[in-house]
Amino acid sequence: MNLINRYVAEVGKHLSFSSSRADIEKELKSTLEDMLEDRARKAGRSADEAMEIELLKEYGAPDKVAATYDPHPYLIGPRMFPFFTMILKMVIFGIMVGLSVVTGIQIISQMSVMGSEFVNIVGQGISGIISTSIAAFGYVVLAFAIIERIVPASEFKIDEKKEWDPASLMKEPGPDEARRGELIAEIIFTFLGLAILNLYPQVLGIGFFADEKWLYVPIFSAAFFTFIPWINFTFLAEILLDIFLLRTALWTRLTRVIKVVIEAASLAITVTIFRTPNIIGFTAESFTNMPIDPETAQTLTTIFTTMFPITLTVIMIIQGIELAKAVYRLFKIQYRTK
Amino acid sequence: MTNTESLENVAQELRRGVIVLAVLSQLSSEQYGYSLLKLLSDQGLEVDQGTLYPLLRRLETQGYLQSVWKLEEARPRRYYVISAEGKKVLPKLKKEWAGIVSMMEKMLS
Repeated sequence: MNLINRYVAEVGKHLSFSSSRADIEKELKSTLEDMLEDRARKAGRSADEAMEIELLKEYGAPDKVAATYDPHPYLIGPRMFPFFTMILKMVIFGIMVGLSVVTGIQIISQMSVMGSEFVNIVGQGISGIISTSIAAFGYVVLAFAIIERIVPASEFKIDEKKEWDPASLMKEPGPDEARRGELIAEIIFTFLGLAILNLYPQVLGIGFFADEKWLYVPIFSAAFFTFIPWINFTFLAEILLDIFLLRTALWTRLTRVIKVVIEAASLAITVTIFRTPNIIGFTAESFTNMPIDPETAQTLTTIFTTMFPITLTVIMIIQGIELAKAVYRLFKIQYRTK
Repeated sequence: MTNTESLENVAQELRRGVIVLAVLSQLSSEQYGYSLLKLLSDQGLEVDQGTLYPLLRRLETQGYLQSVWKLEEARPRRYYVISAEGKKVLPKLKKEWAGIVSMMEKMLS
């Protein structure tokens, strides 16, 4: 019986879900003991180690036995797969467009001093698109694999075969109904934002190929990176709130309040960044050792220093609108529940 | 994959479809996993343990079975029996099965 105990423990190690592990182990042990007893009776002798080995060999490898109990034999299941492909297409498209624009800027800015390096820049651009797309693919898969395991199937029935009613096209969604598609998209993009800010901050910069190597000028100064912990905090809060809403599918007064706080905090961070001097890392001096002429360096500096406050203003307006919407919906829910 | 393996896979797929109905039909009285396995085998339906035990758990989660642990001969055994919900579903499944058999007999004749 010693081998059976070890076998059962080995199967238990491969069971990824802890809630029913003890129960499965107990039932498996009981079954194996029954089977062994049955074999011994048929053989007309008492069970021995050889008989145990034969039984366990027939029953199968512990990892394969454990896999038959796994409710999640896939990384991303059929209920999530349509959203996964939709978000993945959007992310890859965004990366291709974004990095193509960056490569284009590099080619234009280095045009006057560029000779045979053109091919290298284009090659590096293409390799950047491929490597960033592969990394983004990994992050999107990771995010969906987490959602797959956090949100119970019973609360997310995309594949439910219910009869489709054309009248549903005319039906307005309930005011407190959480829109799952929007929540998933928000989780994925916030997750990617977190990954870029914390793992690939060099993406927020512009690179130049010279003397067989890449030289890199960050868009932002060190002052910007002091805001990263605060940005991380709001991004994480947003992801947690979205995951919670995916599970409950309904906005409540508490979640509306949390949303208002997150939106207000995001706006406050953007306003503070806007008011912080010298947040842009680009100056004419930054390009001193770069393979571009001083005139192009000045033009680039002017473009970025002009575009930055405009971009921040647009972001603040969008965040202001989002905050106003969140406050309005909070008061609406309070009015409805009175 | 050889032709024999391929045929065996298709035949296994066919058998897999009837396991739920077979299990529900045999659990009007309490059975533990191994006794159910033998009961099905005695009637000609060979079911792999790796298929049966997870299926029993799934049917219990879906509410068609209920189970209880009992201590017998110094060995704990988990006994399964059809639930009230399972009893409601069984006649419908039997009707469905009769329809499938009748349809396939027409097709194959």
